Amino acid sequence: MGDSQPRRLEELLARELGLILCIGALALAQVTLLPTPLGFSAPLILVLAICRTLIGVGSAFPDIGVIRGLRWSLYGGLSLDILAATPLGSHALATLLATFAVTVLTRRLRIEGPLLPILAVCVGSLIYEVVLALLLQPGPINWVSTVQVALVPGVLVALILTLPVFFVLRWMLRAQL
Amino acid sequence: MRDFFDDIPIRLRRERSHTSASGRPFVLALVLCLVAGTLIILDRQGVITPIRLLVQQGVTPAAQALTGLRDQALDLVGAPRNAASLRAQISALEQENSQLKADNLRLQQSQVENASLRQQLQIQREQPWRLLGADVTVRPADAGRRVMTIAKGTTDGVQLGMAVIGQNPGGPAALVGIIESTGAHTAEVLLITDFSSQVSARIIHAGQAGLGLVQGQWQLGSRLRLGQIDRSTQIVHGDAVVSAGLTGSMRIPLDLAAVPANIPIGSVETVSASGQEQSAELRPFVDPDQVRYVWVILNQDA
Repeated sequence: MGDSQPRRLEELLARELGLILCIGALALAQVTLLPTPLGFSAPLILVLAICRTLIGVGSAFPDIGVIRGLRWSLYGGLSLDILAATPLGSHALATLLATFAVTVLTRRLRIEGPLLPILAVCVGSLIYEVVLALLLQPGPINWVSTVQVALVPGVLVALILTLPVFFVLRWMLRAQL
Repeated sequence: MRDFFDDIPIRLRRERSHTSASGRPFVLALVLCLVAGTLIILDRQGVITPIRLLVQQGVTPAAQALTGLRDQALDLVGAPRNAASLRAQISALEQENSQLKADNLRLQQSQVENASLRQQLQIQREQPWRLLGADVTVRPADAGRRVMTIAKGTTDGVQLGMAVIGQNPGGPAALVGIIESTGAHTAEVLLITDFSSQVSARIIHAGQAGLGLVQGQWQLGSRLRLGQIDRSTQIVHGDAVVSAGLTGSMRIPLDLAAVPANIPIGSVETVSASGQEQSAELRPFVDPDQVRYVWVILNQDA
């Protein structure tokens, strides 16, 4: 009886470490295996975080689901910062803001069918790219060029990943639906 | 693996179909954003940069292996399948072509120099740059900055501001970027196509060499732009552009040292004029997104 509390804590820590390692491995896959001909990688971590949040919003306990989505965003963003040689926290902040916006916009909606994930990733990746441009581009930003070169291609690549990621993730997390 | 994603299975969902949402996630989101913002500030001040570089160094072998795996897969997909001899012939022709282009460029540069500079150039050629080969481990992760990581660091002699060159099949060895930060066994290279990259350059045209400033344009929709060229300087399509070796003295807002002179950069595509200056769009000799192996010029004084 007396051991149950420490064991629970150890179990939680082990799970959290496992989650961090899994997301770190996915971030590594993003920067090494998923570069596109456009000159940047497909934003797997962003799409995963948004899809995880959407599934959380639609679960029986939305608060817990959203918090898990936010944890994914933080771990994924920090992993990308370490791998992509950007200031630590920049990808994390961009992913967190995108995830948070998706939470706010979808918390009163019913998560069914493919349309909502697509719209959520569209909005989320727009926010992600804008925040990254503001954080990483030096000097005044030429928004017309940024939209043409980074925003639109980035959003389109993210949209290609959306449905496969969403449905695979929903299948993996079906116990929470 | 599913356990990590689904850390606490919710078994009571049928009993509690809809729980009203509280403010907890919003408070947590705010806290996490503040944490991320604090990390950005600390990293920009260099407080936690060593930790980031240490972790980055730890994942470098895995990143290198995965990048190699991807490159091998791409080679497998893109390679002609029926004739090994054809491949060997193409490879030989590419090498010859590359050599001819490099020779041609060297010839054009030689014509520009006057007698005294030729002598100096000869000395430079007799003392070639000391190069250090390095694998590219991580390419740009997204549309933000054009930075790549290489698998050589301070223990190999790599230092801030060193020029990094690469070579595409069939082209001359040319500038790819500049070392921006270093760890013990890894270094980050700011690619010349990044908007924050600026390198002094010379345009080789009909025995004359005008000065200009090459700036990355990837975030603006193209590759390279050569600006600050005097209106009187003659430039035409196809003119070669090489580094001028003046970057250190131009007081560019970039804490990088000097790039050696005469490193090929690219060729002129289009020319436009405005006021007393003209500018040109450049096609880089080496596409930084395609290089898999690069060389760091260790001898900055060459």
